Amino acid sequence: MSLTQLRPSPQHAAPPPKQSRAKLLLYRFDTKATPYVFIAPFFVLFAIFGLFPIVYNAVVSLRTWKLDEPDKDGWAGFANFTKLLTDSDFWNALYNTFGIFVLSTVPQLLLALIIANLLNRKLRGQSFWRIGILLPYLTPVVASTLVFSVFFARDNGMANWFLSLVGYGQEQPLDWRAEKWSSWIAIATMVNWKWIGYNALLYLSAMQTIPKDVYEAAAVDGAGPWRQLWRITVPMIQPVVVFTVILSTIGGLQLFNEPMMFDQNPQSATGGSAHQFQTIAQLIYKVGWKDLNLGYAAAMSWALFLIILIVAGINAQLTKRIGGDR
Amino acid sequence: MKRLGKATAAAGVAATLALTGCSGQSLEGDGDKAQGTITLKVAFWGDMGLDKLKAQYEAAHPNIKIVLNSGEYNAQHEDLQKKIVAGTGAPDISAIDEGFIVQFRSQADKFVNFMDKGGAEYESKYLPWKWQESMSTDGKQIGLGTDVGGLAMCYRSDLFKAAGLPTDRDAVSKLWNNWDDFINVGKQYTAKTHKKFVDSGTNMFNPVLAQQPVGFFDTGEKLQMDGGPKVAFDVSMKALDAGISANLASFQPNWDQGFKKDQFAVLACPAWMLGHIQDTAPDQAGKWDIASIPGGGGNWGGSWWTIPAQGKNIDAAADFVKWMVAPEQQIEVFKTVGNLPSQPALYKDPAVLDYKKEFMSNAPTGQIFAATAENLKPQYLGKKAGPTRVAVENVITQVQEGKLKSADAWAVAVKEAEKAANS
Repeated sequence: MSLTQLRPSPQHAAPPPKQSRAKLLLYRFDTKATPYVFIAPFFVLFAIFGLFPIVYNAVVSLRTWKLDEPDKDGWAGFANFTKLLTDSDFWNALYNTFGIFVLSTVPQLLLALIIANLLNRKLRGQSFWRIGILLPYLTPVVASTLVFSVFFARDNGMANWFLSLVGYGQEQPLDWRAEKWSSWIAIATMVNWKWIGYNALLYLSAMQTIPKDVYEAAAVDGAGPWRQLWRITVPMIQPVVVFTVILSTIGGLQLFNEPMMFDQNPQSATGGSAHQFQTIAQLIYKVGWKDLNLGYAAAMSWALFLIILIVAGINAQLTKRIGGDR
Repeated sequence: MKRLGKATAAAGVAATLALTGCSGQSLEGDGDKAQGTITLKVAFWGDMGLDKLKAQYEAAHPNIKIVLNSGEYNAQHEDLQKKIVAGTGAPDISAIDEGFIVQFRSQADKFVNFMDKGGAEYESKYLPWKWQESMSTDGKQIGLGTDVGGLAMCYRSDLFKAAGLPTDRDAVSKLWNNWDDFINVGKQYTAKTHKKFVDSGTNMFNPVLAQQPVGFFDTGEKLQMDGGPKVAFDVSMKALDAGISANLASFQPNWDQGFKKDQFAVLACPAWMLGHIQDTAPDQAGKWDIASIPGGGGNWGGSWWTIPAQGKNIDAAADFVKWMVAPEQQIEVFKTVGNLPSQPALYKDPAVLDYKKEFMSNAPTGQIFAATAENLKPQYLGKKAGPTRVAVENVITQVQEGKLKSADAWAVAVKEAEKAANS
């Protein structure tokens, strides 16, 4: 009786080939599709939060969409873009953005490089210094900008106090917000302060992968520290330099928080009384949420997107060339 | 009660940037819906004196739960605008200030029309211009008014005394029948004390503009700079040329510091400004007093309660709004935070008439502000009044910064205003 029970019944005999086919399919799925499943979350999120807004923005930029004139909604063709070309506010904002970008990115990356180079030596309290330079980066941008905004105040501001120590502005204190050059310097200072440490740490980590014997050989050949920095370190950490250049290009051209909160009257988003430090991102915000012209704001956003792509590309090429040729 | 929370404007802006979601803090979380309770979210800025009223209303209506969300002035309006575009997420009830009412009035379809909720009977209760301001061109009423900002002139009696000026509020009112007198008093003050008299040129421009029969735009939405704006601009230029302005931008940290450092001695103030002075310089109790404003009258700010149409509990929200604008509650709010009601019947109420503000040297603020509100000449606010005002204010600031000569400024102001009006 036990034997008959053990013997497989004909009904049981049928499934195996079926099962193996299922297994085969599963196996195929496993090898072909699983990798895509694993990376899918990123692409799904990117599609929702990255791609969709970009595409939707492009659609909006071709429409007339004024919140306070709902009856005028409709397709506008390229009207928003042609308006952009003749809008003096846009070109002024572009000029400001590039001005502040140059004033902030160039000193920022150079100082970061020098600081990283200093930290790459044997120091007492190494971790202390390394964490210390990252502190500005950890400070919320809102908090630091508020402090800087007081620092650069016309009356009772600390920056003006420093200037008064060297005998400047005794009678008429410098109004940092009033002129292009002074407001640009103030805003660039905030950006530099925040990002130097971050970039320095990136450079530092790259520097630590450079073998010591290269430096020893260079030292034997009589290269001083400065020459070593430019002839050995920079070319050898070039990929990281390219990375930071691209990143600070993107960040610099999207500059928003600092000029926004530096403004005397943040609600207006005009970037000073004569738009002297209005950046493109700030202008987009003003056009969208103050003038309530969403279609035009979308066109500006797309223009900014293209500008960033082009500038980041150019910068990356330039940086590669500088590093590679030396 | 415009811009009460604007002192924290910077922080508020930041909050909007950081979280595009909710701004301001909810005082309480969502209620449990298990017992069929209705939760009403009320968004406003600063302090509108609702804490006590909330408890009172909840006690009388056990099935209603009210969540107060007080944020920063600009952030709250901007948040409302975004939620309306998104079609979801707006509060059940939202306060809207005069500075933003035009923007939302032109999107009247997105709000509950109070005309459909028995609002017509309210028309006769309100100051006529207050009723009109929140009404769309096709006759939809998007809000019920809560307060108005009739103008008076606050002044520092201690600084006046030090400058050898009269300190009694009636005598001070007699010093300035018009703005020229006012500037002359300012010159005397500055000559004597070597301190500035007014806070900024823009705070001269705005009250004078508010007193003009026609503002930036006529009722046909046409920009007309040569009328009211020109008068107001000239007064502000005269004040700047006289060197009596401290050139501080209102509601900014520097301005708040200016209070404490005695950088100015007078301030054009609507009823809701009293709360701001008290919060900014609490140690100056008894040093402030209120006189009448040169030129008489004018309005600055004031709010409405509105109900975004996307809400799920529109009827419950409408009931609560009607309760909030009822006379008892309006008087309660006036006593708590000082906001002047927009229903003229209340100006005869003893509770308002007899009220004295201790902080302002016991000035009878009820009487003073009720008188200014009643004598107000209404002014039409155009669609682009907000951006246009900012553009002209910026030109005044340029003069203050020394970048522009006062003689050349008007031409620039006209150009900038035209640009803003056509934006």
